[in-house]
Amino acid sequence: MSATRCFAGVDVGSATTKAVLIDEHAVALAHTLLPSGGRLAEAAERVLAKVLDQAGAVAVDVAAVVATGYGRDCVPARTKSVTEITCHARGAHALHPAVRSVIDIGGQDSKAIALDANGMVRRFEMNDKCAAGTGRFLDVMARTLDVALDEIGPVALTAERPASISSTCTVFAESEVVSLLAQGETVPHILSGLCLAITHRINSLASRVGMAPEVMMTGGVAKNVAVVKGIEQAIGLPVTVPDEPQIVGALGAALLARDLAEKEAASGSNAG
Amino acid sequence: MSIDSPSLLETFEQVCANPYQQARAAAEQGVPVAGLMCSYSPQELFHAAGYLPVRILGRAGATPRADQLVQTYSCSFARSALDSGLAGELDFLRLAVFSHTCDTLQNVADLWKRNCPGMQTLIVSTPNQTAGAAAQTYFRKELARVRAELAATAGPISDDDLRASMVLHARHRATMQRLYALRRDNPGALTGRQMMAVVTASFLMPKEEHLEKLTELLGALEQHPPGQADTRPRVLVAGSVCQDLGFIGAIEDAGCRIVDDDLCMGARSFLVPEAAEGDPLDALADQYLARTPCPAFHCPGFDPGTHLLERAQQAGADGVVFLLTKFCDPWAFDYAHAKNTLDEADIPALMLEVEQNLPVPEQFRTRTGAFVEILQSRAGL
Repeated sequence: MSATRCFAGVDVGSATTKAVLIDEHAVALAHTLLPSGGRLAEAAERVLAKVLDQAGAVAVDVAAVVATGYGRDCVPARTKSVTEITCHARGAHALHPAVRSVIDIGGQDSKAIALDANGMVRRFEMNDKCAAGTGRFLDVMARTLDVALDEIGPVALTAERPASISSTCTVFAESEVVSLLAQGETVPHILSGLCLAITHRINSLASRVGMAPEVMMTGGVAKNVAVVKGIEQAIGLPVTVPDEPQIVGALGAALLARDLAEKEAASGSNAG
Repeated sequence: MSIDSPSLLETFEQVCANPYQQARAAAEQGVPVAGLMCSYSPQELFHAAGYLPVRILGRAGATPRADQLVQTYSCSFARSALDSGLAGELDFLRLAVFSHTCDTLQNVADLWKRNCPGMQTLIVSTPNQTAGAAAQTYFRKELARVRAELAATAGPISDDDLRASMVLHARHRATMQRLYALRRDNPGALTGRQMMAVVTASFLMPKEEHLEKLTELLGALEQHPPGQADTRPRVLVAGSVCQDLGFIGAIEDAGCRIVDDDLCMGARSFLVPEAAEGDPLDALADQYLARTPCPAFHCPGFDPGTHLLERAQQAGADGVVFLLTKFCDPWAFDYAHAKNTLDEADIPALMLEVEQNLPVPEQFRTRTGAFVEILQSRAGL
């Protein structure tokens, strides 16, 4: 296959590593997602190899790679590291230029981002040091309740009322869940309560940043319909969830890689 | 004679790495050492009485002794300083000096008095309202009481001795201000971490010695021509204390340049008006009350937001990073207001919560990184 000049974004998150490959016209050629595991550099290399393979491209076709996510500095092929805050804003803007607010809940942190009409970050807030109320929280609760992770949202929506969960601390909430089960509380009610607890936590971040329409939700937790619905109610605005909420950061990184390569080409031609 | 600024800067870093080494050595030579917990403790008085005044710092590590005595919502600075006292790490002190500022330090003072035998605990009361004649009368009276208490053990402190000490401290502050000005004009001259080391060492070394080394450093840096134009965003750091040089280093590692600060243990300690003629105690009381007021005080007419905005504008800062010691509510309440003022003036601000114990966490790196990316995109970089 003939070589196309392309650009890659790699997002090394705490739970999953994502890659997106785009061409010169910013058209996505391929995207993929793998568990991050304990060896971040290897995970990054694997996702990159996989998207290249999917697109029928080879490494030399890649003009620039922008790495993001908490493992961004572990990506061997990176041209540059950019924080996931900037990348999520850029990715969300590319998907829906009308987006002015992004709520991202990943495996170990959550963020609320306000952006301008060009997709630049204006303000942001990020959760505290621990992973309370994030994807990891739901992951642990799913195991405690013996429910599949992707079933949490639909099951929670069947509840007539949420059980009262007072904490988003994974350790405290887990013991609360065990007590609730012992008291005879049903699983849907508990799941509904857990989703609501996440909603309250993200709402305090969101209100500090100030949410303006359109609001997009990114990150793995955006796949949970009960959390999305709860957030819509809490902030009083509809929330858009893209088809692949987990790769928005990697998409933003790929677009930034394209900017970077273009900027370099421009300065090169100016100099020459 | 060639002046070697890197090795001089290294000296200051070493002082910060072993903060009490010099004080301990002085104590072993028979010099009485006073440990000051707060910027409102009048170092000039202790110096005039023959004491070596040094600041008590917080420290990293577990605080099991303090944990038995203070609530979980006390800040890590107070907690770790108290733990150092209880553990006997400060046994070289003759005096521990507290000021009546925040609730936590007031209570730690009482705990210190009961639980740290072997040294005298001295509390310097400060007026809760720092403006006006009544505040001056009150604080002058308090300084006179401290002077008399010191005289009981160290002998009388003459007006001339006090004046001489005030002149030394004024010269030191003026020289520190020159270093701050040099950095504002030429941020490439020294890194934020190096500057913070010079600042922190000034609270730990004998003033005469710090002044000498500082003058030498300024001489070396002033000869050094400014480097290439630095396109990195200019940042002002604000807050109470930043004793962990690693935090300052981590902020700059995100890709910005720290060009100034509005820290209590920083520029606020050096931007003090000159002493008036006449009665030295009057002048000293005036000087302390004219400091940028601690957020634990009430000061009519002072607006913390306007103050921070002015400091940021004077520094030509593109953004402000606010280091908030976790559980420090006086600063936390002021921050919300200051942030609004900065927002209105379109100066981006970032608040970072810091603790003595924690290494630089990943979220800190992402936050500072994203903040610098905002500043870069605004500058079209």
